[in-house]
Amino acid sequence: MSSSVTVRVLRRLQGLRAGPVRGPAGLRAEPGRFLSSGGAMNVFNRDMKKRQKQRVAALKDGHQYDYLRDEVRRITAFCLLRTFPLALDIGGGKSHIAEHLNKKRCRQTEVPTRCVVVDEEFLPFKENTFDLVLSSLSLHWINDLPGVLRQIQQVLKPDGVFIGAMVGGDTLYELRCSLQLAESEREGGFSAHVSPFTAVTDLGNLLGGAGFSLLTVDVDEVQVHYPGMMEVMTDLQGMGESNCAWNRRSLLHRDTMLAAAAVYREMYGNQDGSVPATFEILYMIGWKPHESQVRRTVFLTELTKITLKGERKSRKKREKKGN
Amino acid sequence: MSGSNVWTRSRERLRIFPELLAQCADEAAVYGKCVAATTTGRQELKKDLCVKEFEALKTCFTNAVSPQSSIPGSGFTGHGGD
Repeated sequence: MSSSVTVRVLRRLQGLRAGPVRGPAGLRAEPGRFLSSGGAMNVFNRDMKKRQKQRVAALKDGHQYDYLRDEVRRITAFCLLRTFPLALDIGGGKSHIAEHLNKKRCRQTEVPTRCVVVDEEFLPFKENTFDLVLSSLSLHWINDLPGVLRQIQQVLKPDGVFIGAMVGGDTLYELRCSLQLAESEREGGFSAHVSPFTAVTDLGNLLGGAGFSLLTVDVDEVQVHYPGMMEVMTDLQGMGESNCAWNRRSLLHRDTMLAAAAVYREMYGNQDGSVPATFEILYMIGWKPHESQVRRTVFLTELTKITLKGERKSRKKREKKGN
Repeated sequence: MSGSNVWTRSRERLRIFPELLAQCADEAAVYGKCVAATTTGRQELKKDLCVKEFEALKTCFTNAVSPQSSIPGSGFTGHGGD
Protein backbone atom coordinates (compact mmCIF):
# COMPACT_ATOMS: atom_id res chain seq x y z
CA MET A 1 0.00 0.00 0.00
CA SER A 2 1.57 3.27 -0.92
CA SER A 3 1.10 6.28 1.27
CA SER A 4 1.99 9.46 -0.48
CA VAL A 5 1.34 13.12 0.15
CA THR A 6 1.04 15.40 -2.81
CA VAL A 7 2.80 18.70 -2.49
CA ARG A 8 2.43 21.17 -5.29
CA VAL A 9 5.45 23.22 -6.12
CA LEU A 10 4.04 25.66 -8.59
CA ARG A 11 6.32 27.68 -10.80
CA ARG A 12 4.45 29.52 -13.54
CA LEU A 13 6.98 30.71 -16.08
CA GLN A 14 6.39 33.24 -18.83
CA GLY A 15 7.53 31.68 -22.08
CA LEU A 16 10.26 29.11 -22.31
CA ARG A 17 13.28 28.58 -20.13
CA ALA A 18 16.46 26.58 -20.54
CA GLY A 19 16.32 23.43 -18.46
CA PRO A 20 18.82 23.32 -15.58
CA VAL A 21 21.36 20.52 -15.56
CA ARG A 22 20.64 18.11 -12.75
CA GLY A 23 22.92 15.43 -11.48
CA PRO A 24 26.65 15.16 -11.88
CA ALA A 25 28.09 16.58 -15.04
CA GLY A 26 29.72 13.89 -17.14
CA LEU A 27 27.37 11.16 -16.00
CA ARG A 28 24.37 12.77 -17.67
CA ALA A 29 24.01 10.77 -20.85
CA GLU A 30 20.30 10.85 -21.60
CA PRO A 31 19.69 11.11 -25.35
CA GLY A 32 17.61 14.08 -26.42
CA ARG A 33 14.17 13.00 -27.39
CA PHE A 34 13.57 15.19 -30.39
CA LEU A 35 15.46 14.80 -33.65
CA SER A 36 15.10 17.89 -35.75
CA SER A 37 15.59 16.23 -39.10
CA GLY A 38 12.40 14.23 -39.56
CA GLY A 39 13.83 10.75 -38.99
CA ALA A 40 11.33 8.88 -36.84
CA MET A 41 12.79 7.61 -33.60
CA ASN A 42 12.00 4.17 -32.28
CA VAL A 43 12.72 4.38 -28.60
CA PHE A 44 9.79 2.59 -27.04
CA ASN A 45 8.39 -0.87 -27.42
CA ARG A 46 4.76 0.07 -27.96
CA ASP A 47 3.51 -3.51 -27.71
CA MET A 48 5.03 -3.85 -24.29
CA LYS A 49 3.53 -0.54 -23.22
CA LYS A 50 0.11 -1.74 -24.35
CA ARG A 51 0.52 -4.93 -22.30
CA GLN A 52 1.64 -2.93 -19.26
CA LYS A 53 -1.36 -0.65 -19.55
CA GLN A 54 -3.73 -3.57 -19.89
CA ARG A 55 -2.28 -5.23 -16.83
CA VAL A 56 -2.67 -2.04 -14.85
CA ALA A 57 -6.23 -1.48 -16.06
CA ALA A 58 -7.15 -4.91 -14.72
CA LEU A 59 -5.92 -4.12 -11.18
CA LYS A 60 -8.70 -4.11 -8.62
CA ASP A 61 -7.20 -1.31 -6.53
CA GLY A 62 -5.75 0.58 -9.46
CA HIS A 63 -7.48 3.83 -8.53
CA GLN A 64 -4.95 4.48 -5.77
CA TYR A 65 -2.36 5.27 -8.45
CA ASP A 66 -4.52 7.82 -10.22
CA TYR A 67 -3.50 10.86 -8.18
CA LEU A 68 -1.15 12.30 -10.77
CA ARG A 69 -3.57 11.90 -13.65
CA ASP A 70 -6.41 13.37 -11.61
CA GLU A 71 -4.30 16.39 -10.76
CA VAL A 72 -3.38 17.00 -14.39
CA ARG A 73 -6.96 16.55 -15.56
CA ARG A 74 -8.13 19.06 -12.99
CA ILE A 75 -5.73 21.67 -14.37
CA THR A 76 -6.58 20.84 -17.98
CA ALA A 77 -10.27 21.28 -17.30
CA PHE A 78 -9.62 24.91 -16.30
CA CYS A 79 -8.57 25.66 -19.88
CA LEU A 80 -11.93 24.73 -21.30
CA LEU A 81 -13.71 28.09 -21.33
CA ARG A 82 -15.61 27.46 -24.56
CA THR A 83 -18.09 24.79 -25.51
CA PHE A 84 -16.68 22.17 -27.81
CA PRO A 85 -19.22 20.04 -29.63
CA LEU A 86 -16.88 17.18 -30.44
CA ALA A 87 -13.72 16.36 -28.52
CA LEU A 88 -11.08 13.66 -28.77
CA ASP A 89 -9.18 12.49 -25.71
CA ILE A 90 -5.96 10.73 -26.65
CA GLY A 91 -4.42 8.33 -24.19
CA GLY A 92 -7.30 8.59 -21.79
CA GLY A 93 -6.40 5.29 -20.14
CA LYS A 94 -8.98 4.05 -17.70
CA SER A 95 -10.83 7.29 -17.40
CA HIS A 96 -12.31 8.02 -20.77
CA ILE A 97 -10.87 5.97 -23.55
CA ALA A 98 -10.39 2.47 -22.21
CA GLU A 99 -7.25 0.79 -23.42
CA HIS A 100 -8.69 -2.63 -23.32
CA LEU A 101 -11.51 -4.15 -25.26
CA ASN A 102 -14.09 -4.51 -22.50
CA LYS A 103 -16.21 -1.43 -23.09
CA LYS A 104 -18.10 -1.88 -19.83
CA ARG A 105 -15.01 -0.72 -17.94
CA CYS A 106 -15.24 2.67 -19.58
CA ARG A 107 -16.15 5.05 -16.78
CA GLN A 108 -19.55 6.61 -17.29
CA THR A 109 -19.51 10.40 -17.32
CA GLU A 110 -22.13 13.08 -17.89
CA VAL A 111 -20.59 13.82 -21.27
CA PRO A 112 -21.66 11.14 -23.75
CA THR A 113 -18.47 9.20 -24.42
CA ARG A 114 -17.43 6.52 -26.81
CA CYS A 115 -14.29 4.53 -26.06
CA VAL A 116 -12.11 3.05 -28.77
CA VAL A 117 -8.76 1.34 -28.67
CA VAL A 118 -6.40 3.00 -31.12
CA ASP A 119 -2.70 3.36 -31.57
CA GLU A 120 -1.87 7.02 -30.91
CA GLU A 121 0.62 7.02 -33.73
CA PHE A 122 -2.00 6.04 -36.30
CA LEU A 123 -5.15 8.03 -35.61
CA PRO A 124 -8.03 6.55 -37.63
CA PHE A 125 -10.07 9.75 -37.90
CA LYS A 126 -10.95 11.90 -40.88
CA GLU A 127 -9.42 15.32 -41.28
CA ASN A 128 -11.26 18.35 -39.87
CA THR A 129 -13.38 16.31 -37.50
CA PHE A 130 -12.80 17.54 -33.97
CA ASP A 131 -13.23 20.89 -32.27
CA LEU A 132 -10.97 19.91 -29.41
CA VAL A 133 -8.23 17.37 -28.93
CA LEU A 134 -6.94 16.61 -25.46
CA SER A 135 -3.99 14.56 -24.44
CA SER A 136 -3.06 13.98 -20.86
CA LEU A 137 0.13 12.25 -19.77
CA SER A 138 0.46 9.85 -22.64
CA LEU A 139 2.60 11.63 -25.21
CA HIS A 140 5.83 10.69 -23.48
CA TRP A 141 5.55 7.11 -24.71
CA ILE A 142 5.20 8.09 -28.36
CA ASN A 143 8.03 7.27 -30.72
CA ASP A 144 7.19 9.67 -33.54
CA LEU A 145 6.04 12.74 -31.65
CA PRO A 146 6.27 15.17 -34.60
CA GLY A 147 4.15 12.76 -36.66
CA VAL A 148 1.50 12.42 -33.97
CA LEU A 149 1.26 16.19 -33.51
CA ARG A 150 0.84 16.59 -37.24
CA GLN A 151 -1.95 14.01 -37.24
CA ILE A 152 -3.66 15.80 -34.37
CA GLN A 153 -3.45 19.04 -36.32
CA GLN A 154 -5.05 17.32 -39.29
CA VAL A 155 -8.00 15.81 -37.42
CA LEU A 156 -8.79 19.18 -35.88
CA LYS A 157 -11.26 21.53 -37.52
CA PRO A 158 -9.92 24.96 -38.49
CA ASP A 159 -9.92 27.12 -35.33
CA GLY A 160 -9.94 23.92 -33.30
CA VAL A 161 -7.61 23.65 -30.35
CA PHE A 162 -5.24 21.02 -29.02
CA ILE A 163 -4.62 21.03 -25.29
CA GLY A 164 -1.94 18.65 -24.15
CA ALA A 165 -0.15 17.78 -20.96
CA MET A 166 2.92 15.64 -21.02
CA VAL A 167 5.67 14.85 -18.58
CA GLY A 168 8.95 16.22 -19.72
CA GLY A 169 12.27 17.74 -18.88
CA ASP A 170 13.28 17.09 -15.33
CA THR A 171 10.68 14.48 -14.46
CA LEU A 172 11.98 11.85 -12.06
CA TYR A 173 15.48 13.27 -12.15
CA GLU A 174 16.01 12.07 -8.59
CA LEU A 175 15.29 8.48 -9.55
CA ARG A 176 17.37 8.74 -12.70
CA CYS A 177 20.41 10.16 -10.91
CA SER A 178 20.23 7.77 -7.96
CA LEU A 179 20.12 4.78 -10.25
CA GLN A 180 22.92 6.15 -12.42
CA LEU A 181 25.22 6.77 -9.47
CA ALA A 182 24.45 3.47 -7.77
CA GLU A 183 24.89 1.47 -10.94
CA SER A 184 28.18 3.21 -11.72
CA GLU A 185 29.54 2.56 -8.26
CA ARG A 186 28.33 -1.01 -7.99
CA GLU A 187 28.70 -2.24 -11.56
CA GLY A 188 31.08 0.16 -13.28
CA GLY A 189 28.58 1.47 -15.83
CA PHE A 190 24.95 2.38 -16.12
CA SER A 191 22.02 1.98 -18.45
CA ALA A 192 18.91 4.05 -18.94
CA HIS A 193 16.14 3.30 -16.46
CA VAL A 194 14.09 6.44 -16.90
CA SER A 195 12.74 7.40 -20.33
CA PRO A 196 14.18 10.31 -22.22
CA PHE A 197 11.77 13.23 -22.01
CA THR A 198 11.03 16.19 -24.22
CA ALA A 199 12.65 19.40 -23.08
CA VAL A 200 10.37 22.38 -22.71
CA THR A 201 12.51 24.34 -25.16
CA ASP A 202 11.78 21.79 -27.89
CA LEU A 203 8.03 21.92 -27.44
CA GLY A 204 7.58 25.21 -29.25
CA ASN A 205 9.45 23.91 -32.29
CA LEU A 206 7.47 20.67 -32.25
CA LEU A 207 4.11 22.41 -32.16
CA GLY A 208 5.11 24.99 -34.75
CA GLY A 209 6.46 22.32 -37.05
CA ALA A 210 3.18 20.44 -36.82
CA GLY A 211 1.27 23.45 -38.09
CA PHE A 212 -0.22 24.87 -34.90
CA SER A 213 -0.47 28.61 -34.32
CA LEU A 214 -0.96 30.82 -31.27
CA LEU A 215 1.12 28.50 -29.12
CA THR A 216 1.15 28.51 -25.36
CA VAL A 217 3.58 26.43 -23.37
CA ASP A 218 3.60 26.30 -19.60
CA VAL A 219 5.52 24.29 -17.06
CA ASP A 220 4.15 22.96 -13.82
CA GLU A 221 6.27 21.08 -11.36
CA VAL A 222 4.53 18.60 -9.11
CA GLN A 223 6.49 17.04 -6.30
CA VAL A 224 5.12 13.92 -4.71
CA HIS A 225 6.60 12.66 -1.48
CA TYR A 226 7.04 8.94 -0.91
CA PRO A 227 8.37 6.88 1.98
CA GLY A 228 11.27 5.63 -0.15
CA MET A 229 12.58 4.71 -3.58
CA MET A 230 10.77 1.36 -3.66
CA GLU A 231 7.42 3.06 -3.20
CA VAL A 232 8.23 5.45 -6.05
CA MET A 233 8.88 2.52 -8.36
CA THR A 234 5.83 0.58 -7.16
CA ASP A 235 3.57 3.55 -7.80
CA LEU A 236 5.07 4.16 -11.22
CA GLN A 237 4.35 0.56 -12.08
CA GLY A 238 0.81 0.93 -10.77
CA MET A 239 0.29 3.99 -12.95
CA GLY A 240 1.30 1.99 -16.00
CA GLU A 241 4.49 4.01 -16.38
CA SER A 242 7.00 1.17 -16.23
CA ASN A 243 9.95 1.39 -18.56
CA CYS A 244 9.39 0.01 -22.03
CA ALA A 245 12.31 1.43 -23.96
CA TRP A 246 14.00 -1.02 -26.33
CA ASN A 247 17.37 -0.40 -24.69
CA ARG A 248 16.15 -1.12 -21.18
CA ARG A 249 17.95 -3.63 -19.09
CA SER A 250 15.69 -6.49 -18.07
CA LEU A 251 16.97 -6.77 -14.52
CA LEU A 252 18.13 -4.58 -11.71
CA HIS A 253 20.58 -6.21 -9.32
CA ARG A 254 19.53 -6.39 -5.69
CA ASP A 255 22.75 -4.71 -4.66
CA THR A 256 22.20 -1.86 -7.09
CA MET A 257 18.65 -1.41 -5.86
CA LEU A 258 19.86 -1.25 -2.27
CA ALA A 259 22.61 1.18 -3.21
CA ALA A 260 20.25 3.37 -5.22
CA ALA A 261 17.70 3.52 -2.40
CA ALA A 262 20.46 4.63 -0.02
CA VAL A 263 21.74 7.27 -2.44
CA TYR A 264 18.22 8.55 -3.19
CA ARG A 265 17.49 9.07 0.50
CA GLU A 266 20.83 10.69 1.20
CA MET A 267 20.87 13.06 -1.76
CA TYR A 268 17.22 14.04 -1.98
CA GLY A 269 15.54 12.94 1.25
CA ASN A 270 13.46 15.30 3.35
CA GLN A 271 13.81 15.95 7.05
CA ASP A 272 10.98 13.62 7.94
CA GLY A 273 12.56 10.68 6.12
CA SER A 274 10.39 10.81 3.02
CA VAL A 275 11.81 11.29 -0.45
CA PRO A 276 10.44 13.52 -3.21
CA ALA A 277 9.81 12.58 -6.81
CA THR A 278 9.45 15.40 -9.29
CA PHE A 279 7.04 15.34 -12.20
CA GLU A 280 7.59 18.22 -14.56
CA ILE A 281 4.38 18.57 -16.51
CA LEU A 282 4.45 20.55 -19.73
CA TYR A 283 1.13 22.04 -20.72
CA MET A 284 0.70 23.07 -24.31
CA ILE A 285 -2.07 24.76 -26.26
CA GLY A 286 -2.04 25.01 -30.05
CA TRP A 287 -4.70 26.24 -32.46
CA LYS A 288 -5.35 25.08 -35.98
CA PRO A 289 -4.98 28.12 -38.23
CA HIS A 290 -8.14 29.93 -39.32
CA GLU A 291 -8.75 33.31 -41.00
CA SER A 292 -10.31 34.75 -37.85
CA GLN A 293 -7.00 34.30 -36.07
CA VAL A 294 -5.09 36.59 -38.43
CA ARG A 295 -6.72 39.71 -36.98
CA ARG A 296 -5.37 38.87 -33.55
CA THR A 297 -1.77 39.32 -34.60
CA VAL A 298 0.00 42.66 -34.93
CA PHE A 299 2.11 43.19 -38.01
CA LEU A 300 5.65 44.30 -37.49
CA THR A 301 5.41 46.82 -40.36
CA GLU A 302 2.60 48.68 -38.59
CA LEU A 303 4.77 49.03 -35.52
CA THR A 304 7.59 50.51 -37.63
CA LYS A 305 5.27 53.11 -39.21
CA ILE A 306 4.10 54.29 -35.81
CA THR A 307 7.67 54.75 -34.62
CA LEU A 308 8.74 56.72 -37.70
CA LYS A 309 5.74 59.05 -37.49
CA GLY A 310 6.58 59.86 -33.89
CA GLU A 311 10.18 60.69 -34.78
CA ARG A 312 9.17 63.05 -37.58
CA LYS A 313 6.81 64.93 -35.28
CA SER A 314 9.38 65.46 -32.58
CA ARG A 315 11.99 66.65 -35.11
CA LYS A 316 9.61 69.31 -36.39
CA LYS A 317 8.94 70.50 -32.84
CA ARG A 318 12.66 70.81 -32.16
CA GLU A 319 13.20 72.80 -35.36
CA LYS A 320 10.42 75.24 -34.43
CA LYS A 321 11.83 75.79 -30.97
CA GLY A 322 15.29 76.39 -32.33
CA ASN A 323 14.09 79.40 -34.33
CA MET B 1 -2.32 -18.79 -5.66
CA SER B 2 0.14 -21.44 -6.78
CA GLY B 3 2.15 -21.62 -3.53
CA SER B 4 5.71 -20.59 -2.84
CA ASN B 5 7.94 -20.22 -5.89
CA VAL B 6 10.80 -17.98 -6.90
CA TRP B 7 8.43 -15.17 -7.95
CA THR B 8 6.41 -15.15 -4.74
CA ARG B 9 9.59 -15.25 -2.70
CA SER B 10 11.25 -12.41 -4.58
CA ARG B 11 8.07 -10.36 -4.48
CA GLU B 12 7.86 -10.91 -0.73
CA ARG B 13 11.48 -9.81 -0.36
CA LEU B 14 10.76 -6.67 -2.35
CA ARG B 15 7.70 -5.97 -0.27
CA ILE B 16 9.63 -5.93 3.02
CA PHE B 17 12.62 -4.14 1.48
CA PRO B 18 11.62 -0.70 2.81
CA GLU B 19 11.20 -1.96 6.38
CA LEU B 20 14.61 -3.63 6.29
CA LEU B 21 16.25 -0.56 4.83
CA ALA B 22 14.74 1.52 7.62
CA GLN B 23 16.61 -0.63 10.12
CA CYS B 24 19.90 0.16 8.43
CA ALA B 25 19.37 3.88 8.07
CA ASP B 26 22.79 4.81 9.46
CA GLU B 27 24.78 2.56 7.17
CA ALA B 28 22.66 3.71 4.24
CA ALA B 29 23.37 7.34 5.09
CA VAL B 30 27.12 6.72 5.24
CA TYR B 31 27.09 4.97 1.88
CA GLY B 32 24.89 7.65 0.38
CA LYS B 33 27.22 10.39 1.58
CA CYS B 34 30.21 8.60 0.07
CA VAL B 35 28.57 8.41 -3.34
CA ALA B 36 27.07 11.89 -3.16
CA ALA B 37 30.51 13.33 -2.43
CA THR B 38 31.62 12.43 -5.95
CA THR B 39 29.03 14.76 -7.44
CA THR B 40 30.55 17.81 -5.81
CA GLY B 41 34.19 16.93 -5.32
CA ARG B 42 36.86 16.42 -7.92
CA GLN B 43 36.88 12.67 -7.41
CA GLU B 44 35.26 10.74 -10.24
CA LEU B 45 32.83 7.95 -9.49
CA LYS B 46 34.49 4.62 -10.22
CA LYS B 47 33.44 1.08 -9.59
CA ASP B 48 33.77 0.02 -5.95
CA LEU B 49 34.76 3.49 -4.85
CA CYS B 50 32.57 3.12 -1.77
CA VAL B 51 32.86 -0.63 -1.43
CA LYS B 52 33.63 -0.56 2.30
CA GLU B 53 30.54 1.49 3.06
CA PHE B 54 28.43 -0.70 0.82
CA GLU B 55 29.64 -3.91 2.44
CA ALA B 56 28.67 -2.49 5.83
CA LEU B 57 25.22 -1.64 4.47
CA LYS B 58 24.79 -5.04 2.90
CA THR B 59 25.85 -6.83 6.10
CA CYS B 60 23.34 -4.85 8.11
CA PHE B 61 20.67 -5.56 5.52
CA THR B 62 21.39 -9.31 5.47
CA ASN B 63 21.29 -9.43 9.28
CA ALA B 64 17.97 -7.63 9.21
CA VAL B 65 16.63 -10.24 6.78
CA SER B 66 17.74 -13.40 8.58
CA PRO B 67 15.65 -13.20 11.78
CA GLN B 68 12.62 -12.99 9.50
CA SER B 69 13.63 -15.86 7.24
CA SER B 70 10.27 -17.60 7.77
CA ILE B 71 8.54 -16.84 4.48
CA PRO B 72 4.72 -17.12 4.53
CA GLY B 73 3.70 -20.53 3.22
CA SER B 74 6.91 -22.29 4.14
CA GLY B 75 8.22 -23.11 7.61
CA PHE B 76 6.11 -23.55 10.67
CA THR B 77 3.61 -20.90 11.49
CA GLY B 78 2.33 -21.87 14.89
CA HIS B 79 3.98 -22.36 18.23
CA GLY B 80 2.78 -22.99 21.71
CA GLY B 81 0.35 -20.39 22.95
CA ASP B 82 1.53 -17.73 25.37
